[in-house]
Amino acid sequence: MNNSNQIILSSVLYWFSQKKWFVFSILIGIILLNLTTPVGLSIAAYHSLIILIMTFILVMTEPIPFPAIALLALVLQVILGVVSTEELSSTLMNDAVIFVMGSLMFAIAIIHQGLDIRLAEIILKIFGKSKRMLIAGLMLISSILSSFLGEHTVIALMLPIGLSMIKNLDTSNNDSKNAILLVLFSIAYGTIIGSIGTPSGGARNVIMINYLQEFSDIRIDYWNWIEHAYPILFVQLIVAYIVLQFAFPSTLKNIKLSGYKRDIKKRSIQENMSNLFALVIVLLVILSWFLLNEKFGLGIIAVSGALIFMLFGMINWETINKNTNWGVILLFASTISLGIQINETGASGWLVEKFNFLLAEFFAGSENMSWTFMAIISGITANFFTSSATVSLLGPMAIQLQPNDITFALSSAIASSFSFLTVISSPAAMIIYSTGLVNTKVFFRVGIMMFLSSILILYFMSKFYWIHL
Amino acid sequence: MKILIAIGGIDFSKPTLNMGMEIASAFEASSTIAYVGKKISQFSEKDVSVVHQSLDNRQLYRPGIRTLEWACNFLETKGYIDSNSSANFDDHLLIDEDNSRMKVLLKSKNSDNIDLILRTGEIIDQLRDEVFSNGHDITVVGGGKNKGIYHDLIEFIHSSILVVKNFSFNKKYKILLPINNTKGSKKATEMAIRLAQHYKTEIHIVYVKDKKEKDVVKSIETTSNQLSKLKIKNETFLLEGDPVKSITEFAKDDYIISLGVSNKNPIKNFFFGSKPISISKQCNCPVLLVK
Repeated sequence: MNNSNQIILSSVLYWFSQKKWFVFSILIGIILLNLTTPVGLSIAAYHSLIILIMTFILVMTEPIPFPAIALLALVLQVILGVVSTEELSSTLMNDAVIFVMGSLMFAIAIIHQGLDIRLAEIILKIFGKSKRMLIAGLMLISSILSSFLGEHTVIALMLPIGLSMIKNLDTSNNDSKNAILLVLFSIAYGTIIGSIGTPSGGARNVIMINYLQEFSDIRIDYWNWIEHAYPILFVQLIVAYIVLQFAFPSTLKNIKLSGYKRDIKKRSIQENMSNLFALVIVLLVILSWFLLNEKFGLGIIAVSGALIFMLFGMINWETINKNTNWGVILLFASTISLGIQINETGASGWLVEKFNFLLAEFFAGSENMSWTFMAIISGITANFFTSSATVSLLGPMAIQLQPNDITFALSSAIASSFSFLTVISSPAAMIIYSTGLVNTKVFFRVGIMMFLSSILILYFMSKFYWIHL
Repeated sequence: MKILIAIGGIDFSKPTLNMGMEIASAFEASSTIAYVGKKISQFSEKDVSVVHQSLDNRQLYRPGIRTLEWACNFLETKGYIDSNSSANFDDHLLIDEDNSRMKVLLKSKNSDNIDLILRTGEIIDQLRDEVFSNGHDITVVGGGKNKGIYHDLIEFIHSSILVVKNFSFNKKYKILLPINNTKGSKKATEMAIRLAQHYKTEIHIVYVKDKKEKDVVKSIETTSNQLSKLKIKNETFLLEGDPVKSITEFAKDDYIISLGVSNKNPIKNFFFGSKPISISKQCNCPVLLVK
């Protein structure tokens, strides 16, 4: 075989090895399209479910870029007759998508201000008396900030603080290694747990609020959400703190803070003023989420935050443009649109009917079992598919399970945030994994305890606390 | 000639870097030392990139920089790069060449023919791209536990591959040259000659004879004469049986194997495997797969 033919064949083989899941998803789509439409489903509903399955496969395995998956889902919806082009356009942009876009841009603007040093100063002042208290402080502050500003903002602010604390530790020493993991996991878990606290803590929360407005009569505002979610957050934090102390026992004696304390004091007046102004903008945005979300929507307020930073020259468009994940925004627009079609065509109702039928066969129609399966499915799916994408596709079905009860929808959104099992499931997990100091096995080993305890906490809170609200 | 040396963790990359640089020195080649960081999900790639920028600003450095710093110090102690004693690795510049490739420029440590590169993503994808974009002739990788990777390395990276397996610094290796009547063998012989000249060692030529094959002595003699003309000490061995088993058992951990890879149909290799892939998987010593 001559050299050029060999290179061509090798390139074809390489393309196939890289795109095998794309080929697989297309084959699955073709096979399903050629099967008879299941009884009780319209053709449009059946086709919407085929696109759902293909999207699941593609997002989980990432054989093609996210924008390509988003465009494929949009094109297929029109070509397969799920929705007309006009209707598709109207479902593509809503408050949830604007929120995803705004919060990503707002996060970049905040991170760009270098607020981590200011934050470190505050954390050391409040919690610096003992190292164990400092770990608890890192977790608590990460969690409270993340509940308002989202995971991706807070992990970016907190990780430099954590890494500064552990930068001179020797990874070959077991005590030091555990101290490193304790610091990194405290920040990551604090951030992940915090994201359930308010609607602006994660795109999944806003997506669920939007679905509730669209598909049911239930309304939940910023305050209502906090009332439901914050107690869960605090219980989860306590459990996480205990789990981490057992998982990574360390004396913490090798953590030396004196050098870091000296470094963070070296700040100029100009930096202080700029930090203060950035803080005022952040507080204004949070206040607006509390007071004005009903009137303007969470998305517009997030976009306004990024806009103010740009107008005052505190960040330029090039930086925002370079660091914003436009592919994710396009993917969410597409999956939310698909989620709406799954509901509109009756596909989610059909799935829920089958789900309930199966449960009745085995568990005599218990509502508790229905809740449990829904929460576990949401939690597990989110660990392989990310929380926001899970809610955008499973959200309509969670609402259909109990359309007049907020418990199911809220539980599904909250369970989707339990991204403790895999490193791909959340920005916080991926970022601590990217440091090279945490491996997937350790993440899963500790995460499984957190995942199961979080499902239990959610169950008891929804059963015994939410009914009093 | 250009050589790409892929390094990972500091704990296990020393043999790869050492042997890679020795080979570069033997072939008077320029070398690129690449650290390939973990693959990041598309959901989080921008978040991770923003965090890494923050870490760089705080001199905490993104993953991989400390490994390259270690590599740089190693090269300095071995005399591959000049150094200014007052220079500090912290004075480096990170040039973002595209989304997944970054070049580390050191302000006061320099060498015209050594590049330090930071890449992020799936290892085969990144090495393939690096070889494709920069035309490397040999890719040097460590022989880890993941044997599934050998097939992809050999099939998808369009350069010769040196798998540094069980390499000991102080051991005196001989060169093992398995030959047959293919173009691959001729290229492997050229490489074996340069290795033998660099390490000042002898070459053992091995021919694994098929039961049906008759006239094999001529090929062995031709190769042996070629080496003798260059004053390279050599011995010839005629083996019989399964080539993979025979060569791996013969080599034990005493040789550096220089093995030609023939232009077989990649689709056939994908489904049925190939002898070079099997030998690189099973042997217990460094293997240079020559393309």
